[in-house]
Amino acid sequence: MTTTGSSITSSRSLSYIALFAALMAVFGLIPKVDLPFGVPITLQSLGVMLAGCLLGPRRGFFAIALFLLAVALGLPLLPGGRGGLAVFVAPAGGFLFGWMFGAFACGLLMRRMAGATGKGLLAAAFLSSVVGGIVVVYAFGIVELSLIAHMSLAQAALAMLVFIPGDLIKCGICAMLVQTVMRGMPSWRLDRD
Amino acid sequence: MHALPAWVKLAVLSVCGTLLVLVERPVHLGIACIVVLLLFASLGRTAWLRVRMLVGIAIGCALIVGFHWFLGTTALGVASALRLASAAVLALMLTLTTRFEDLLAVLEAVMRPLQRFGVPTERIALGIGLMLRFAENFYVQWQRLDDAYRARAGHGGGLRLLAPLTIRTLQTAERVADALAARLGR
Amino acid sequence: MGYSGDPLPQPTPIDPLVPYSIRLESVTLVRGEQRVFDGLTLSLDEARIGLVGDNGAGKSSLFRLISGLDQPQQGRVVVHGCDTRGTQADRRQLSQHVGLMFQNPDDQIIFPTVAEELAFSLTARGETRQAARERAREFLAERGLAAWAGRAIGELSQGQRQQVCLLALQIGRPATLLLDEPFASLDLLSQARLATQLEEATSQQIVVSTHLLEHVYDFERVLWLEQGQVRADGPGHEVCEAYAENVRQRAAAERGAGRA
Repeated sequence: MTTTGSSITSSRSLSYIALFAALMAVFGLIPKVDLPFGVPITLQSLGVMLAGCLLGPRRGFFAIALFLLAVALGLPLLPGGRGGLAVFVAPAGGFLFGWMFGAFACGLLMRRMAGATGKGLLAAAFLSSVVGGIVVVYAFGIVELSLIAHMSLAQAALAMLVFIPGDLIKCGICAMLVQTVMRGMPSWRLDRD
Repeated sequence: MHALPAWVKLAVLSVCGTLLVLVERPVHLGIACIVVLLLFASLGRTAWLRVRMLVGIAIGCALIVGFHWFLGTTALGVASALRLASAAVLALMLTLTTRFEDLLAVLEAVMRPLQRFGVPTERIALGIGLMLRFAENFYVQWQRLDDAYRARAGHGGGLRLLAPLTIRTLQTAERVADALAARLGR
Repeated sequence: MGYSGDPLPQPTPIDPLVPYSIRLESVTLVRGEQRVFDGLTLSLDEARIGLVGDNGAGKSSLFRLISGLDQPQQGRVVVHGCDTRGTQADRRQLSQHVGLMFQNPDDQIIFPTVAEELAFSLTARGETRQAARERAREFLAERGLAAWAGRAIGELSQGQRQQVCLLALQIGRPATLLLDEPFASLDLLSQARLATQLEEATSQQIVVSTHLLEHVYDFERVLWLEQGQVRADGPGHEVCEAYAENVRQRAAAERGAGRA
């Protein structure tokens, strides 16, 4: 009774990938808080976590990649209406690449814990979001910042520290949303590859 | 500049970007930056509307310089900032003078040779189309949920609608996937 | 209203002796916990077929089987010579022979303008973008809708969007069109327009599932589905009358039971 199969290019996969790419775009339209170094503190990292948790590592990765492709083509989908290739060169560019791998890492971890329910699911999603949405993303952002702005890794890391609390809140929101989705759509699978 | 074909602009951008990385001395970079800004100004009204984007770039640069000044490596900071500014403004000009569809067409053309390696180029283009469609749709779905909430609660739903919205959009994605699969056969 | 000759590659020719042929052979379909069809055998060759029945009777599931979206656990479904359980390539063939339209046009339209949406049906089959755009424009012009080419989908009414969905399916010239409750959300005028459009599609087989019986009343064949089985199968007016009468009786029985 399979529909279109689970290949990554099937209509079903493509649809979900496009959906979460769109979610990222919509999150970008919500006004952001302006911060130094042009680093975006936005809802978009929430989109990264959701894509990872709900779509799994591969599709989550491609969802963010598709979104970034659209941004690269010039669509103003980053907060403040930014878009085009310029944003990848800007100081916050590393975060953008980090988002892709962050979604992947988040999905990888979530998949490991896919059987959880109730409070366990909440914790699993939260943990996956922290690892993917914060640890991996920031790793990329810090490295890129230190390269482009010629800072040391430690200096760059210090600069980013202030954004962690906000991101932890987003991890919490993501966890709650994942739990709600599983309640509302019990047939949703969290163990996709 | 609007009239130049997209691929030409992209190629020029790549070449310039590479040159910028190779140049070291702040003086040369400064000249490059001025040239780029003059080009930007030559775009006329289009450029003026997007001056705000320049401000963002400027702030980023100022902060980089400030940071390096604090550490005593000012020259390095200035070079970095100038390089960044030049690259960013060039890319901005590409975006402002090229239609999205044209860039998409160039992307498809560039990706075509990858097809033999199994890269699904038409699916990617389709994916972008679907993405735009879903983005538009989010707003409509939000409105509907909000109306339903208002009708029962007397005020707007705000962030409480985020969860039902997520579920609703996942279900929509399923239906869109079915319609697409029925149309394309996969 | 015939089609002008066009340069598009044709799908595999269909056997001229039996131009429309949809066969279900002992089909069993299980969805989750529910057994939708059990050993259903059916043959759909007529040009106009209606499908009526309560919700949950299996009308949509039948369409999904025919279009290849779902495959049966047992038995087979062969549509114009293509087995729905075949290979990927078979299913792609199938999508060229069968068009399926869902109830909500918003779930089906992808592109922002009418011409792009129509062109997509063609580019998906390998047409170049140029040729597809031109063909889409011609197609619209043939139907007196040339003005629609550049129009944004968002500006169109529900009925018009539904029309665009239908056009996007028809431009691919499938042999069979499956329409799932197409009249349900349309106002009377749009319903009349759609009915006319269907009448004019003389070279296609059309299967319509609907609750608005008047639209299939004159069809040469209507099937009444009940819990996955064919309860009645015959000329449109007979089956529609029978079904309507059955519903009246059931409603009356419920009212009576309520009062007792």
